[in-house]
Amino acid sequence: MAALHQGWAIQTRVIQALIIRELTTRFGRENIGFLWVMAEPLLFAVLVGLLWRFEKGPQEHGVSIIAFVATGYLPLVMFRSTVQRALGSFSANSSLMYHRQVKILDLILVRFFVEMIGHMMAYLFIATVLYALDEFPWPHDLGYLLLGWSYYALFTLTLATIVAPLSEMSEVLEKVMPVTTYLMVPFSGAFFMAEWLAPDVKAAVLWSPPVHAMEMMRYGVFGDAVYPHFSFVYTPAWCLPVLMVGLMLCRHVRRVMVVE
Amino acid sequence: MIRCSGLVKSYSAGHRRKIVLGGVDLEIGRGQKLGLLGRNGAGKTTLIKLIGGVELPNAGRIERKMTVSWPLGFGGGFQGSLTGYDNARFIARIYGRNYRDIQDFIEDFTELGRQLAMPVKTYSSGMRARLAFALSLAIEFDCYLIDEVIMVGDQNFQRKCHEEIFVKRADRALILASHSVDFIRQYCDMALLIDKGEASVKGDIDEAIALYSNL
Repeated sequence: MAALHQGWAIQTRVIQALIIRELTTRFGRENIGFLWVMAEPLLFAVLVGLLWRFEKGPQEHGVSIIAFVATGYLPLVMFRSTVQRALGSFSANSSLMYHRQVKILDLILVRFFVEMIGHMMAYLFIATVLYALDEFPWPHDLGYLLLGWSYYALFTLTLATIVAPLSEMSEVLEKVMPVTTYLMVPFSGAFFMAEWLAPDVKAAVLWSPPVHAMEMMRYGVFGDAVYPHFSFVYTPAWCLPVLMVGLMLCRHVRRVMVVE
Repeated sequence: MIRCSGLVKSYSAGHRRKIVLGGVDLEIGRGQKLGLLGRNGAGKTTLIKLIGGVELPNAGRIERKMTVSWPLGFGGGFQGSLTGYDNARFIARIYGRNYRDIQDFIEDFTELGRQLAMPVKTYSSGMRARLAFALSLAIEFDCYLIDEVIMVGDQNFQRKCHEEIFVKRADRALILASHSVDFIRQYCDMALLIDKGEASVKGDIDEAIALYSNL
């Protein structure tokens, strides 16, 4: 028990140190520093939101279109950038393996935490601004919103845990990943509610775990203005076994890893 | 104490595997000084990496009953894009030391002055060696893993290393990879000769050196 407690203390210390390191290497100390982490997603969400606003008018299916795009786009960008940053993250950080208390999984966790916190901050920021402009509703149910975010984050972490070791085993992955995450957009649930789709299309997208998470978040924000479709168990039931495979792959890659 | 039993390490080389270490056993207690001898590519650095936990063996076990430093050589352990200070802060954090307590020692030992505020990638290998040494000395380990190349800095640095490691920390264990037989004769009380994947500990330094000279 004491050993477990000590191990936990070391791991939290290491993760903290790695997060600070990640933020200083990525954003430096000049100007707004680590706030850059939310700049990119914000810019994305605002520009795409405005584009849709001018293309399709102020509302779609009864909800503010800018709010709809923002709620969909931010988790999607979190997913995309986390997976992108997971590629080759082991070899890029292999010098950290000189310190035994740094575990290979920490490398994935740290990049995931930075992306997640950054995108959640951006979400909070954009929601506050839009709320002030009367373009964003007061959340209907924070519980659904947070649970949806957690499910989306779990899915993101799961995929990062698979992609990071695979990218060390094959270079092909690095080339095809941007296309794959792009093709995944329809299955992210970011730009529609399942209810709006044709029945067979709806059935198809509901095979995708993030769609459930997204529907949950949207219900948490818009409440009865939308009619969500989700299952509480599907996303974790999909993610946990895949996560196990990912952890095994990470373990394998660590065993054969060559550190300069 | 560190005990290694049956350490095997191989790397894939094209379609076949090259066995670098084929079953190494060794034990080193507190305060003992072990010299690793072997030709270039024999596996000295590999063994040090395994003991330091940087790479993992294909088979065999390593038990560490004392704190072991990370391998001190020219490469590794630093983030090139961060400054010397930031690297020091990071290492202090992960080893649970207060950065303020070690800062003075690092400035004093490295004598790098304002260079410490520059990214480590701009350092020469000698400067990196100074920083790596200073950090591992500041953190204090029971056993130091050292690649001898790191100690070939300028006179002043050599003198400091000698003072800090062999005089002030004479009670610490040391595993030292070296080509210099004089060095090993002077500082070590056991030697491990690595040749063609085989390795065995010799309590008699002169015997190990004689075998090494005949390779």
